[in-house]
Amino acid sequence: MCGLFKTPAYAYITARVRARKRKLIPKETYPKLLNMQLPEIIRFIEESEYKKDVDELSAKFKSIDLLEHALGRSLGASYRKLMDISRGEVNYLITEYMRRWDVWNIKTVIRGKYYGASEEEILNCVVSAGELHYPELELMAKKESIGDVIASLEHTPYYPVLTKYEGGMLNKIEDELDRLSYTRLLDAVGGSPGEKFFLKFIQTEIDIKNLKMLFRLKKAGVEREYVQNILITGGLELKESDLTRLSGLSFSELVHSLDGYSYWRSISDVVSDQMTTLMDVDTKLDAHLMNYASQISHYYPLSILPVLDYILSKKIEVDNLRVIARGKELKLADEIIRSHLVM
Amino acid sequence: MVEAEAMGLIALGAGLAVGLTGLGAGIGEQSIGAAAIGAMAEDPKFFGKGLLMTVIPESIVIFGLVVALILLFVF
Repeated sequence: MCGLFKTPAYAYITARVRARKRKLIPKETYPKLLNMQLPEIIRFIEESEYKKDVDELSAKFKSIDLLEHALGRSLGASYRKLMDISRGEVNYLITEYMRRWDVWNIKTVIRGKYYGASEEEILNCVVSAGELHYPELELMAKKESIGDVIASLEHTPYYPVLTKYEGGMLNKIEDELDRLSYTRLLDAVGGSPGEKFFLKFIQTEIDIKNLKMLFRLKKAGVEREYVQNILITGGLELKESDLTRLSGLSFSELVHSLDGYSYWRSISDVVSDQMTTLMDVDTKLDAHLMNYASQISHYYPLSILPVLDYILSKKIEVDNLRVIARGKELKLADEIIRSHLVM
Repeated sequence: MVEAEAMGLIALGAGLAVGLTGLGAGIGEQSIGAAAIGAMAEDPKFFGKGLLMTVIPESIVIFGLVVALILLFVF
């Protein structure tokens, strides 16, 4: 009976996200964008769904910077809209999923303060997509020191973690914040069939985040103890014991010990002992996650899954457009740009 | 007396036929209506299709009404 009253809320939001997803740039357009020059790409984006953001920012930024900021702003606005138009359970799940942007923004402001960035520089890098609204972020950016920023977050769930900061490097506290957002998210997911797949998706996301970190840290030859402290537990295939084992291996051993996991099929053609760049692995893993979200979005049409698919597709569209624009600006070969596109 | 009882039961049946089908249609329409409004909010061109989809469950009420009319006027 309870599900009967939840259904309209899901019907409304899923109809909206499906309509929004249809407006995203289809993957067939990316090769066409690769054939364009930078001014043409900027014009294409100016005439697309990003028009409003480009127009509003055109007085402040020019060329590629305008594009970057318009894309970031559109991403934040799209996500905030999702929170504004949803209610009840679906709103709760979206808000919990969007906490990653709160974490991103807190990290950005604290890092900005740490390195002495100006208020404007900090605000140019935040994405107001989480529970913290732009005016709150503005107030945070105005604070004099990291301590003041932390004090201003007293009413948020991040405060207990932030109070552990005792000065110096920020990496420890940043890892803790990441861990907190995932722990909260895992706790928030209920037991409905759609949410079970949502949970599987989050666990897959944790696995992929861990894999990316493992590749990076092992390539840099970082010691086991340090690696273990950074990794996030709660993954689907990479359990705590797997993480302990993998973090003790060398890069070459890590590459050879991944073939037992399902992710291997997605990355096997780009991974080798002698690989010099990890960008290809990142791209393949992101594509794996996107395809998984797209696949499960059809399993339970009236659930959080279509919303999740849209959230991920929008993020990937923004990232792809950034890659193409920056790649063109740096005059990279089309093949290199294409290899970094998540499709 | 018996005839009056039978008439009462027929009237009750007719009422249930319309009432329950109305309730069923309402349950069906709540999700369709919500989805139609959602689609229209993104694209107003969906108005015609949305309206059509929303009233489809109403056909069940027409069946209920037919059953009620048969009960009242045929028996």
